Amino acid sequence: MKGSCSSVSNLLERYFDHEVTENEKALVEEHLPSCSTCQETLKLMGGIRDVMRTPVEEALQGEDFQRVWQHVDREIRLRESPPWWESVWLNLPNLLRRRIWVPAVAATIALVLVIAPLFLKKTSSYPGSSDIEYVQSQDYNVMVYQSDKATVIWLLDGKEEGAGTS
Amino acid sequence: MRRTAILSTFILLFLCFFASPSAAQVSIRLRVIQAFNSGATIDVALRDVYDQLGSLFSFRSYRLLRDENLALSADRSFEIPVHPGRAIEVTLVGQRKGMIEIRVKIKREGTDILNTQVRLFPGRTVLIGGPKHGEGVVIFALSAST
Repeated sequence: MKGSCSSVSNLLERYFDHEVTENEKALVEEHLPSCSTCQETLKLMGGIRDVMRTPVEEALQGEDFQRVWQHVDREIRLRESPPWWESVWLNLPNLLRRRIWVPAVAATIALVLVIAPLFLKKTSSYPGSSDIEYVQSQDYNVMVYQSDKATVIWLLDGKEEGAGTS
Repeated sequence: MRRTAILSTFILLFLCFFASPSAAQVSIRLRVIQAFNSGATIDVALRDVYDQLGSLFSFRSYRLLRDENLALSADRSFEIPVHPGRAIEVTLVGQRKGMIEIRVKIKREGTDILNTQVRLFPGRTVLIGGPKHGEGVVIFALSAST
């Protein structure tokens, strides 16, 4: 059965896009040889497709997708905010070129020189250390007593040695 | 220009580092106490150290003769007369975190009868005693000011 022109023409667009069923395809292909109108319509569709495809293909050929991807990749990385060491590493060439590292290193060394002695010094703290560095007396005998609360330096002369201490 | 700035920074830091200990000022408290055995009186101003004095010495009475807060710096010594012809001289030797190191000289007629260097820690007292004073003896109580 040959389909009517009006019913086949409704299928032509889908036939052109290969979206018809097998039955519809058979119907269209049975009708086409005998209908010049539908043949013209089909040919027109092909022409329109060719007209649209050519500039698109030319545009695609001229596009550098590698470069586009690099841009996209950089945007993604920037939005991800890389960790500080990565930022430093990436910016290191610029920093070295600017020579701002000279005062930075100088300041760091100076800071270390200032702070290090504070940690390296022996901090004597009670208990365990003596309160007395030295005691000298030519006229008196000296007695030293150290308790947990106080240190006593007592001067003893010969006559009343030990008189006042317990 | 940049080199000058860096050099200036170094010199400034160097001066700060080496100048700060000598420029710093510390305070110590010096109390001159007369200890004797007549009566049984304790000066009210000595209540905070009476337990120490009582546990260390066998005197019955203690009287506060002088109470001085001394602001010590490395370039300044304090000489405080105690008794006619007697004086105590205190000089800052150094200081570290939580500790003050001082040199103490007790003088009689201008002669040193005692020369010692002691460290003062927070909460501890250095007591120097023995020289006669009137009917008793004199005790110098040195502590870091709070």
